[in-house]
Amino acid sequence: MAHLGPGKAASSKEQAGLRYPSNGKTIYHRPLNRTKTAELSQSSFAYLFSEMVSYAQRRVTGIQELEKRLNLQGHPIGLKLLDLLLTREPPRSQTRPLTIIALLHFIKINLWTHLFGRQADRLEKSSNPDTPDEYMIVDNEPLVNAYISVPREMSQLNCAAFVAGIIEGVCDGAMFPARVTAHSVGGKEEGEMWPGKTVFLVKFQPEVLEREALIGKG
Amino acid sequence: MSYYFAIIGTQDNPLFEYDFGTSKQGGDGQPRFSEQARHLNQFVLHSSLDIVEEVQWTNGQLNLKVIDKFFTNYISCFMTGGNVKFLLLHQPTATAGGANTTRNSTSVGANPTSPQTEEAIKNFFTEVYDNYVKAIMSPFYKVNMEVRSPVFRQRVAAAGRKYL
Amino acid sequence: MFVTVFALIIINKAGGLIYNRTFHEGGLNKISTNDYLVLAGTFHGVHAITARLNPLHPPTNRTSTTSSTAAAAAGAGGAPGTHLTRPDPPSGLEVLETENFRMQCVTTLTGIKFLLFTDTTQANVDLAIRRVYDMYSDYVMKNPFYQLEMPVRCDMFDRKLASYIREINNR
Repeated sequence: MAHLGPGKAASSKEQAGLRYPSNGKTIYHRPLNRTKTAELSQSSFAYLFSEMVSYAQRRVTGIQELEKRLNLQGHPIGLKLLDLLLTREPPRSQTRPLTIIALLHFIKINLWTHLFGRQADRLEKSSNPDTPDEYMIVDNEPLVNAYISVPREMSQLNCAAFVAGIIEGVCDGAMFPARVTAHSVGGKEEGEMWPGKTVFLVKFQPEVLEREALIGKG
Repeated sequence: MSYYFAIIGTQDNPLFEYDFGTSKQGGDGQPRFSEQARHLNQFVLHSSLDIVEEVQWTNGQLNLKVIDKFFTNYISCFMTGGNVKFLLLHQPTATAGGANTTRNSTSVGANPTSPQTEEAIKNFFTEVYDNYVKAIMSPFYKVNMEVRSPVFRQRVAAAGRKYL
Repeated sequence: MFVTVFALIIINKAGGLIYNRTFHEGGLNKISTNDYLVLAGTFHGVHAITARLNPLHPPTNRTSTTSSTAAAAAGAGGAPGTHLTRPDPPSGLEVLETENFRMQCVTTLTGIKFLLFTDTTQANVDLAIRRVYDMYSDYVMKNPFYQLEMPVRCDMFDRKLASYIREINNR
């Protein structure tokens, strides 16, 4: 471990250069739970997200790259939400997810409720025996895509890649390194019940399954 | 009792460190580490990270309690959801350790393994965790970045004074 | 007669056709895309003329206004405390009615025109056109892939519009 420098001297120097907000209140003065049940306007989010997509689109050459950028935008949010949502749990159930199932339940219930006001619609394990490392979180109509129509020439794109990034952030933060991608599975026909149905495919790294097996034994 | 508190990132990198002494039983809040021990503390904490990695997968609690002991140094650990570790090394003051008046004492400042001390450390960790979450909520904070905010340092110091 | 909403046309502020859709075959004569473009351009021009040609006196001459508001409207600055108001610009052509259909036009603040062709007996067209405008602001303006002033190609808008009009037409 490297020494972080003489604590007190450094902090007083930093203090001189630090600019406080005009009301003297920093982020540390704000309660963590006041906004727990607060809601925000879906319109303002829609406009913001629309700009985020345009911004990501400005410097990419392909759809994969665009999805990667959206994913990266979501990743730090996931890392941070993991800790925020844990602090907001009542002390009794305040536990770190130790198994894949516990983690996915945390995502399906806590994360989804926090972000979208409801749980994810389904949670599935890949039925293919060759891919035991794949899990699927299903959302019938992702909130981020509420107003988005993807042009035909980009039909591969799903802007919920941003949400996939958030999920990936949660998984990575909890030490379950994974790749998460968003796929549209809703049919395009008229009268389809969920045209925007999206599957988030969570593919864990091999070491996660290895550890899972070890923990199961012990 | 003297305390050395450190926040360790996911890559075993230090994010924050702070040493202080007990404020209970008339303590003045100053650490009583010898110059040599101050350097040693970092090694002691670092070596206990191995044990943290073993314990963290068998215990889903955030507070892992006392996980390691090195001579008279006790190490308590608190694991955040994002796998950042809060480590607190507590060392009873040498003079107090030998005296029979404090040997079986359960008060916070004297006995590192008493339930009271455990509870106090838990409260300390919880309060630091709250502030740590606020720190990482800042849009300018990225994972594994050093926490340099003087306000955060003040908050940790206040939590130390309040509980330990 | 069940069907009452025949068609929707959206014209951008430069007079270009950015959206057209018919909801019922046979209600109106079918015309080619080119004709639609001409129709949009022509209407845009006519609309501009009707907005200028105003048979009514400008609102400053209204006798009912008090002296202070008259002064304000005349651009004299107004006495302190008076509310400076600018009269709404004339809206131009709003409704066109023929034997066979009725056309209602709404111009938004950004200069987009919504033209709804309905049956002459259709009630509450104002409301319907308002809803269409709502959908436009939701499913077109909030779509990151829509470029301003360009033709509207948004599946979601198509879908929501179709289901809304179907609801009206089946009533």
